[in-house]
Amino acid sequence: MIKHKALLTLFLSLFAVSGLFAAKPVPPAKKAAPPAPAVITGLTAVDMPYDAGNAAILKWAVNPADAADTFYVVYVSSLEAGGWLEADRFVSSAKTGKDVELPFWAWDGSSLEHAVKVELNNTYGDTLPGSVFQFKVAAEKNKQVIAESMPVSVTPVGNWFRLDRMNNLVLLITIIVIFFWAVSHAKRKGLFIRRIAGLDAIDEAIGRATEMGKPIFYVPGIGSMSSISTIASAFILGEVSKKVAQYDSQIKVPHYDPVVMTVCKEVVKQSYMEAGRPDSYREDINQFVSADQFSYAASVDGMISREKPAACFYMGYFMAESLLLAEVGATSGAIQIAGTDVEHQLPFFFTACDYTLIGEELYAAGAYLSREPMLVSALKVQDFGKLFVMISVFFGMICVVLGAKFGWSAFVSSVLNLFQNF
Amino acid sequence: MKLIKKQIPLAIVFITGVLTLISYYVPHKVSVDYIETMNKWENIVVAFAFLLGLISLFFSHYHKITRKADGWGYSIFVFIGFLAMVVPSYTSHGKQMVDGMLTPLGWSYKYIYTALSGTMFAVLAFYIVSTAYRSFRIKSAQAFVLFVAAFILILGKVPLGQIIWDYALGWTGQGVSAVIEWIMQVPAVAGKRGIMIGISIGAIVTSLKIIFGIEKQYMGKD
Repeated sequence: MIKHKALLTLFLSLFAVSGLFAAKPVPPAKKAAPPAPAVITGLTAVDMPYDAGNAAILKWAVNPADAADTFYVVYVSSLEAGGWLEADRFVSSAKTGKDVELPFWAWDGSSLEHAVKVELNNTYGDTLPGSVFQFKVAAEKNKQVIAESMPVSVTPVGNWFRLDRMNNLVLLITIIVIFFWAVSHAKRKGLFIRRIAGLDAIDEAIGRATEMGKPIFYVPGIGSMSSISTIASAFILGEVSKKVAQYDSQIKVPHYDPVVMTVCKEVVKQSYMEAGRPDSYREDINQFVSADQFSYAASVDGMISREKPAACFYMGYFMAESLLLAEVGATSGAIQIAGTDVEHQLPFFFTACDYTLIGEELYAAGAYLSREPMLVSALKVQDFGKLFVMISVFFGMICVVLGAKFGWSAFVSSVLNLFQNF
Repeated sequence: MKLIKKQIPLAIVFITGVLTLISYYVPHKVSVDYIETMNKWENIVVAFAFLLGLISLFFSHYHKITRKADGWGYSIFVFIGFLAMVVPSYTSHGKQMVDGMLTPLGWSYKYIYTALSGTMFAVLAFYIVSTAYRSFRIKSAQAFVLFVAAFILILGKVPLGQIIWDYALGWTGQGVSAVIEWIMQVPAVAGKRGIMIGISIGAIVTSLKIIFGIEKQYMGKD
């Protein structure tokens, strides 16, 4: 018994001694290191490149010691107006040189410095109070200013060239060169162009109207004359009205826009003259209906319902009235051919019309119908353009996939810059 | 005569077109001011052209009434409608509300114009149904694809459809909303972008044809 007690005492003693040796003295609590003082170093202000002279860009070094809840506030002052106005406020980790939305050939941004574009119009409105502006930057934490820079000044000036749009300019020049090559090529020998079913059906539609002794409705849509689709529509109207004049049929062109009506009047009159039927031309072929979307749709629907035309053409810019018109035309039993470049209206035309021209086919229609070599050559340019886009998309896809796999982020960014609109 | 009818208009188109094109690459205030001036001129021309349109409208309907053409009764409503908006507009000095009260113009706008426009827009719903019916008649392989896509979308947008989907196709492990998401984000966007690319290239080429005077049909031919 005594032996057991002695063993137990020895074991407990050893445990206590080992515990004493194992226990380390608790070091005195360290005082928390004071945060690194917020500093705004190297603040510079320069004129924003490639703009109209109403913006400046501020740069200063990124401070790695900035806490996540530190904000930078940019102030601007005009020498003429005086006083400091807040122009921008952002968290300290945002807006570095890499975040400026300019391509690699026009901007060399670094993630080691902040770069803030200050749009002066946002602060002062359309008319700037002067030409010289001062800027300062303050660092804030918990709404307390912890650092502030010295003011810097800059005089924003307008620039004469947008270097950031250089990719766009190069592409445009390439298209112009191909365009003139195609035009000169078309003069020398003819070009093959694919058939467009919707346009081949125009003859059929006009022939049907002639046989039935019913009118043709040509609706140029609700676009203004500055819309490309309306311009294309005027070209098609010229060809359609020429055929109408040749067949001695009737055509009616209700208008939404008075300018379009004036242009279309000239186009139709010219077509009747070219067809050798100036006597058949009437001033009321083109008539203004309404400059209100639904009033226009209601009026044209009424005309279609009453007159039961043999053919309806909807060519141009259409919005919600596309279905209102095409459904009424379909119900009246007319053969319908539509064409628009508004992609979200195309499904309505697809379902309600017999033939539909999709976007670019609408633009090509005038050339296709006229068969003039010079105009037909433009279709070739469109095809070359599409080929270029297809090749670019293919190789761009490969570059981006390879870049993502091997981590070439700078390379991927550069490739994407080439095809980006700035 | 050819100089006035052809060459001068073509020169105007060329110069205006090139300047407008250049202004896209020139950010200077001169360029901005040029575009603003052109926009102002466009508005002025539109205002005058609107007068022409009004005259055309009145003459067209006046002749219908005098000739007792088919549906001439509707032409009377053109004049009634015109007066119903113009007279209140004149008496209300163009204001729709004065001291929180509707003026005659405000009343006409709210209870005639807005009501009629709303009615016309509402008709669209019925037309969409009849169009959907027409598109659901499968006549070709493309129409079948359209039908399948539209059917899934319709199914996924109504609660009963979701129940039917889960009951019939739940074993696939794919919810109808995921399928809809895929249809809208992948094939629909791909098709839309294809159309957009074609439209953009077509627009550039059409603009070049007009600027360089290759397409001049809008001013008649030689």
